Amino acid sequence: MREDKGKRKPKMKGKKKFTRIRERRCRFTRLKVDLIDWKDTNTLQRLCTGQGKLLGRKRSGNSARFQRILRTAIKRARFMGLLPYVGA
Amino acid sequence: MYPYEGMFLVDPVLHTGDPDGIEKTVSGLLEKHGARIHQFSRWDDRKLAYEIKGHKRGIYLLAHFEMPGGNVDALRKESRLTECILRQLVLRLEQPIPQYLEAVAAYHDKMRQDQDLRRPGRRDDEDGDGDIDMLDVDGDGDSDDSYRN
Repeated sequence: MREDKGKRKPKMKGKKKFTRIRERRCRFTRLKVDLIDWKDTNTLQRLCTGQGKLLGRKRSGNSARFQRILRTAIKRARFMGLLPYVGA
Repeated sequence: MYPYEGMFLVDPVLHTGDPDGIEKTVSGLLEKHGARIHQFSRWDDRKLAYEIKGHKRGIYLLAHFEMPGGNVDALRKESRLTECILRQLVLRLEQPIPQYLEAVAAYHDKMRQDQDLRRPGRRDDEDGDGDIDMLDVDGDGDSDDSYRN
């Protein structure tokens, strides 16, 4: 029996754990907001393309929950003439 | 009585002629249907994203009020018939008005602190202070973000 056996680090079982803490991609989740204000055209505009289309989740990084809330907010802003339906 | 948020887009031409009169028409319309107004504010004249009833510009009136639920349809119907109101949106709030206003204020604070938005030298940060320059949609030289207070 080898003397240093007891000093050895125990072998990791399975895959190495991923320890790096990733920042949340969804800015609304990260900021812990309760709602998205449909009157906040600056933020809403940022989440639309130049043509006025809503950015996809892959592009904006929004969580499913906030993407749904954002969709409603953008539609309300469009109805009131704050955001364009099409074009800029 | 339920909490509501109502936004009314009014004709800027009529509003310039008689600002108080138009605002009284709208607040009177709300009161007529039994609303208890908590907050009533006016946004600056701004350019619309698209033409609404032949108007390219408009003035937004924003009201937070409590109202019996049964009167909302009548209010919507009557505001559609009111000449100075170009468009209206009345939304039932999920929380009481003071809490809602607090949540909205907290939302705006957090969005302002967002690191992504505060990166200096961004396209909409022309003065380089790391803060977001408010959009000047109507191009009259002042900021259009009258909602922020």
